[in-house]
Amino acid sequence: MLSRVANNLYWMGRYIERAEHFARYSKEIYFSSLDAPIMKTYDRKFVLESMLYMTGIFDMDVQNEKDVLFKIGLDTKNPNSIISIITTARENARGARNAISTDLWEAINKYYHLVNNYSVEKYVSTGLYDLNQIILQQTSIVQGKISGTLLHDEEWAIILVGMHIERAIQVIKIINSKLHDIYKIEQAGHLVTDMSFEWTTMLRCTESFDMNRKFYRSIPNKEQVLEFIMLNPQCPRSIAHSLNGIKKYLDKLSRNESEEAKTIGFKIGKLCAQYQYLSFDEYKDDIYGILNSTQDQIMEISSELEKKYLSF
Amino acid sequence: MPTGQTLILENMISQMNGILDSYKVGNSHYDEVFAAPKQPREHYKMMVERFNQLSLIDFERINNEVKTAFLNQGITFAVYAEDKKPDERIFPFDLFPRIIPNAEWMQVEKGVIQRNKAINLFLHDIYHDKKILKDKVVPADLIFSSKNYLKEMVGFTPQGGIYTHISGTDLIKHTDGEYYILEDNLRCPSGVSYVLSNRVALKKSLFELFDALKTKTIYQYPEQLLEMLKSVKPKNTDNPTIVVVTPGMYNSAYFEHSFLAQKMGVQLVEGRDLFVEKDFVYMKTIYGPIKVDIIYRRVDDEFIDPLCFRKDSMLGVPGLMNAYRAGNVTLANAPGTGVADDKAVYNYVPDIIKYYLNEVPILNNVKTYHCENESEGKYVMENIGKLVVKPVDESGGYGITIGNKLTIAEIEEVKVRIKSNPRKYIAQPIMSLSEHATFIEESKEFEPRHIDLRTFCLMGKEEEYVLKGGLTRVALRKGNLIVNSSQGGGSKDTWVLDC
Repeated sequence: MLSRVANNLYWMGRYIERAEHFARYSKEIYFSSLDAPIMKTYDRKFVLESMLYMTGIFDMDVQNEKDVLFKIGLDTKNPNSIISIITTARENARGARNAISTDLWEAINKYYHLVNNYSVEKYVSTGLYDLNQIILQQTSIVQGKISGTLLHDEEWAIILVGMHIERAIQVIKIINSKLHDIYKIEQAGHLVTDMSFEWTTMLRCTESFDMNRKFYRSIPNKEQVLEFIMLNPQCPRSIAHSLNGIKKYLDKLSRNESEEAKTIGFKIGKLCAQYQYLSFDEYKDDIYGILNSTQDQIMEISSELEKKYLSF
Repeated sequence: MPTGQTLILENMISQMNGILDSYKVGNSHYDEVFAAPKQPREHYKMMVERFNQLSLIDFERINNEVKTAFLNQGITFAVYAEDKKPDERIFPFDLFPRIIPNAEWMQVEKGVIQRNKAINLFLHDIYHDKKILKDKVVPADLIFSSKNYLKEMVGFTPQGGIYTHISGTDLIKHTDGEYYILEDNLRCPSGVSYVLSNRVALKKSLFELFDALKTKTIYQYPEQLLEMLKSVKPKNTDNPTIVVVTPGMYNSAYFEHSFLAQKMGVQLVEGRDLFVEKDFVYMKTIYGPIKVDIIYRRVDDEFIDPLCFRKDSMLGVPGLMNAYRAGNVTLANAPGTGVADDKAVYNYVPDIIKYYLNEVPILNNVKTYHCENESEGKYVMENIGKLVVKPVDESGGYGITIGNKLTIAEIEEVKVRIKSNPRKYIAQPIMSLSEHATFIEESKEFEPRHIDLRTFCLMGKEEEYVLKGGLTRVALRKGNLIVNSSQGGGSKDTWVLDC
């Protein structure tokens, strides 16, 4: 595999995953707020701020809802908008066109055209749910084509490394963003016991609500939710699962035993082991601390991966 | 639910109003489909009948489905403008196929092979003994003044003696019903991916047409291309690594580059993926360098090696020409072939055929006037209104003027341009491109539009192959003669009949 193609495939995987998380987060946060129990603080401004926070925008005026929705959804000038992310995913797929199957290419290309041709006017007025639903559905199709129409070789592995790295990062961001919301609600004087709604939303944002219910068979609370989406390796959306995925697919790549490869393998192995033996009690007082340190370590692994395999 | 009887009735009505019944046959050009109004030529009869069974609504639906499929497959080219989203357009495809009877095709095929064999011998000669120049069959000045004559190729013989591995010969049909060669494309002719995609699209959308007539298959082209490339592998290579080199994904033919690489199952690379060490070429992979033996390059000569040609080229591979001349890598096509598809050399191709093959040219040339020749130049200056004037070294239909479309002021402008550099221009009589029924979306009717034919010929070591049919290009704008996609051209599937 060409290093340039590997680079394309890695980023294609990352951007496909990123678009999905952004779309799900926007959809869940916005629509769950419509009948939220804590109405006083849970107004539209609060929701729009949360959506912006997730995409890394902290300084936008949220008076005009349509502007905010446009900015995070279909604004091609915002490099972090969903349309920009999907465009980049598709450009990367195009750059690696002959390394991927025709099926996968057409799925990604069709996905791009569906979003790119979506009416901005419709999206900012009535299309928020519809467009995000299209994105989630198309993502599933693309994921299906990745697993079902590619030879399970290094090229496939590098896509999955990208997807798992991005998933770990996005889940960390979602937890951060929701914790930030909960903090703001607490600051406004509400009791944390009212918060099962917020924890449920956090689960929905990571598509883990049904799985969590099945696993605990009780109403979600802070400890259960954070333990589940951080530590449970059986939950495909958890940080622990994502880290294991990074390790698994990186192992498929590291054929040779050079020093750098050992370093990457060693680092991800260590991080996986930490999550394997971690308990909630150990970090409950400093959740931000562990999230940040995990994110830093993933970023480090990512940049070493780029240096080792993806530079050309 | 319609009963059997209503279906028959509907069919009868639709036959009465066949979508081709309102077709108006032009009278000044050769119409490929109709000999006279409502009278299709013999080999089109079945096809016209089938199309007349379709209702306009059905036809439009199928047409839209095909367009969507092309968009989703990425069979598009982008038009870039500043400050705007790139405008991505599909290469327009007309569903009504162009049909060529087998006997007619066999002449074309023979003629194309003959022409390309002779051109190949010509290239070898002008880079070695230059006999044809010494014998004054082709003026030496014409060759040595061409910027496409590469001194780097002098005395070097490519693997198997092949220069033009892939060539695209463009033909038109004149009012006399005869084919004429419009031009040779010996550098990086493109369009073959559209031929293959058009056929797939037609098979899916109007499969019943294939019951009406039997057409020759074209699916083997990528296999033939691969075999041809392998036949010219460097010496001492058993299992050659083959790559396709593209200028990158923003090139207008990127779809084709990736399409061919994928269909052949070889790696698609950019110049920056390759490097040369000790006269061997390698590609950069995640596990280190891998030697490359055969390069099908879709990058023009002047960009392939910044050490040899354009120093500012970001698309090339420094040192590639040295590796090539050391015999360690094959380039297809060979550098320096552009000297032979120069439009000023075109006029001499019949003589070239006679000189090397001692044969009568099978395909006609269009009479060409050289502006640098005194008497011919004089004729051109006095008759610009009746001539097509072309720069000799441009491609894509740029810089062409068509005499009867010019104002008096424009004619004067052309004269000034020719005077400033007569070597740069040739002129030809305005040839009448044949017309073909083509669906026009604006009028929702079939109308006559000018077409030409690009054939694709492969030449390897002791083997030649011509794709059956080729790319029929359509000038979609009414009355327009220029069929290039950059100038609003579309295409049709081309059927060579099986019998």
